[in-house]
Amino acid sequence: MEKQRNHPSPLKFWLWFNPIGRQAGGWAYILHRITALGLTFYLYLHLIVLGLLAKGPDGYDQFLVLAHSPLFVFGELLVVAAGILHGLNGMRIALTTLGVSVTRQKQLFFGLMAIAAIAILVFGIRMFTV
Amino acid sequence: MSKPHAIIIGAGFTGTATAHDLALRGFDVTVIERGDICHGTSGRTHGLLHSGGRYAVKDQESAIECITENTILRRIVPQVIEPNGGLFIALDESDLAYAEQFIESCEECHIPLEEIKPQEALRREPHINPRVLTAFMIPDGTFDPLRLALAFAGTAKRNGAKFRTYTEVKKLITDGKGNITGVNLLDLKSGKSAELYADIVVNATGAWAGEIVETVGVNVPVKPTPGVMVAFEQRFVQRTVNRLNKPGDGDIVLPQRRMVVVGTTSFEVDSLDYVPVLEDHVKLMIERGAQLIPAIAGAKIRGKYMATRPLIGGGEGRSVARTFKCYDHKEMHNLDGLVTITGGKATTLRAMAEKTADVVCTKLGINAPCVTAETPLLSYRQYYLQPNEDFS
Amino acid sequence: MSPAKWNIILKIHRQKQGEAPHFEEFPMQVDPDEYVLDAVERVWAFMDRSLCFRHACHHSTCGACGMRVNDVEKLTCITPIREVTRDGATLKVEPLRNFPVVSDLAVDMGTFYSRMETVGARAVLPVSEAEIENPPTTWDADESQYIRLADCIECGLCISACPAAATSTEYLGPAVLAGAQDQGLKRNLKLLELVDSEDGLWRCHSAFECTAVCPSFVDPARRIMDLRMQVIEERFKRLFRKP
Repeated sequence: MEKQRNHPSPLKFWLWFNPIGRQAGGWAYILHRITALGLTFYLYLHLIVLGLLAKGPDGYDQFLVLAHSPLFVFGELLVVAAGILHGLNGMRIALTTLGVSVTRQKQLFFGLMAIAAIAILVFGIRMFTV
Repeated sequence: MSKPHAIIIGAGFTGTATAHDLALRGFDVTVIERGDICHGTSGRTHGLLHSGGRYAVKDQESAIECITENTILRRIVPQVIEPNGGLFIALDESDLAYAEQFIESCEECHIPLEEIKPQEALRREPHINPRVLTAFMIPDGTFDPLRLALAFAGTAKRNGAKFRTYTEVKKLITDGKGNITGVNLLDLKSGKSAELYADIVVNATGAWAGEIVETVGVNVPVKPTPGVMVAFEQRFVQRTVNRLNKPGDGDIVLPQRRMVVVGTTSFEVDSLDYVPVLEDHVKLMIERGAQLIPAIAGAKIRGKYMATRPLIGGGEGRSVARTFKCYDHKEMHNLDGLVTITGGKATTLRAMAEKTADVVCTKLGINAPCVTAETPLLSYRQYYLQPNEDFS
Repeated sequence: MSPAKWNIILKIHRQKQGEAPHFEEFPMQVDPDEYVLDAVERVWAFMDRSLCFRHACHHSTCGACGMRVNDVEKLTCITPIREVTRDGATLKVEPLRNFPVVSDLAVDMGTFYSRMETVGARAVLPVSEAEIENPPTTWDADESQYIRLADCIECGLCISACPAAATSTEYLGPAVLAGAQDQGLKRNLKLLELVDSEDGLWRCHSAFECTAVCPSFVDPARRIMDLRMQVIEERFKRLFRKP
């Protein structure tokens, strides 16, 4: 039995998120998983909110008030950030799979993440000032 | 009738090769090893598949063994060998003076030899010392040490041999009259002890052979002689490069994977289980290696290590013959049931096994010829594909 | 050379059959330029004879001594202690992940080697057959510029570092897929069904950790990507081929 302890197992999915001893590719992998989970969670949240429409205009108006609170806007920014990070990192995966920049995937990752940072900043400023 | 049972102590080159030979001759074989395969000297060998050129002048017996076994190994286990050949290069007058003797001795030992001009040598190996005066091509090669032993072990396993690794022999069991009937074992994986009996015990522990038989109050004339080797991070040459002179320190450079390895030195130690890599020996290897391949002086070191050769008989360091010997302790010490094989070189592992199996068969009155020279070995991965023996 | 010695604590993963795994600490004096494997071997030689670990060549040819050193996969025989710890610190040594532990630091390579055998990965090659795939212009060039799969020493570091390998016993893993790429579908079309499957190529999720830890610069990740292209090309061709 002890032999099995070091075996791969679906129950070890938490290892996916363990950044200890990892390098750029591993961080990209972790980021990709976390943003994917975040976006999936958001999708369900979104569906619930849309469900409010079925309860009539009053319920929806109440929700709109809530939606303008800074905390909510911050939440929206997180969704946007996750979308940008996941999308750009997805491009890294697609490109490397097609043989583009495989030996430079680290630079590709950092380059794309720099673009992501700028995009998130721009979105953040716009969302909090408009 | 049940098969005769042989216990082999040590899973280095001799142990695994002897297991293979005895398994083919119909023995029930159990190999005991306190570490994993190639835990001791074998794993750390230089990896030079000798053509015999190195020994041709001073030690013809070893040289002939080498060229014979070199040819056989290329045939039976090509999967672990880079058969790229080797160069002997002359760099000074004393080397040139040695050349004449070298040619003559190689002829006597039937080692194929081709003299090539310095320009041609440099064309084949652009990194060797440009001051090369003359060069000889000989059928040297390199092998992957662990995988060579695994190929023998894996094939032996397929033929029924059992391997108990991480199992230490605590003592030899005697029948009261001094004859060996088995071994007392400690499984290091579980801490459990056990006794295992056999018709014959083969002591194939190389440099440690003396330590094993000491426990029953006898000795074998084995002289553990470590040497230091240094691996560099660039494959400067594709063939082995030897200095054309008497064997000395740091006069062989050979390619392994993406490295070159320079070896070796020769010194004596008291404790065998851990031998330090001496810093001055490392320096000497860099210096000597750079004489053969100047770029070594500025190359990055990848590994520094040492291995302990089991030399036999009297004499000092390099003057000791590099041949091997199989001792029947019945003849030597009137102790039945125990055979010790030691000495030799990696290149002669199969011949050592043949000799040992011959002695074992003669002792037990078994008439079975050796067929290892004609039996191709299986993939070295076979060793891992079949589980090892455990106490249960 | 031979500067001041370091005092370190070697924290070694121990596990005997029937025992729960735990760590045991061995304080020792080391030369910082020694390799991690030298320190482990000294524990065996002088402190605890029951320590089980795999090793053989001590110069990165055999691939037996792969371990996790301070949570990173290393070939311990060529990892200088100076690079992984400092004077007075602890050095944690564990067996590779994703392999069954035989005892202490030793792992069972059975499944891995059987997969290497299945894809026909080559190991020791005559130079004439081991082409250098992107030869450098000068031989003084940085070693990592050229790669030969013949350099794969089957050490298992990539399997241990791969996050996808952590959750599936069936995933072939980086070294095995790299071995298949080296064969190439052109040379061995039988590999197609094996690698173009759930547990083959497509389970790789581009973490590139295999390439990061590979001690032989074999670059398994690049090979997996290349093999994907080969598979796509082959599948595409079949679309237009008459049955």
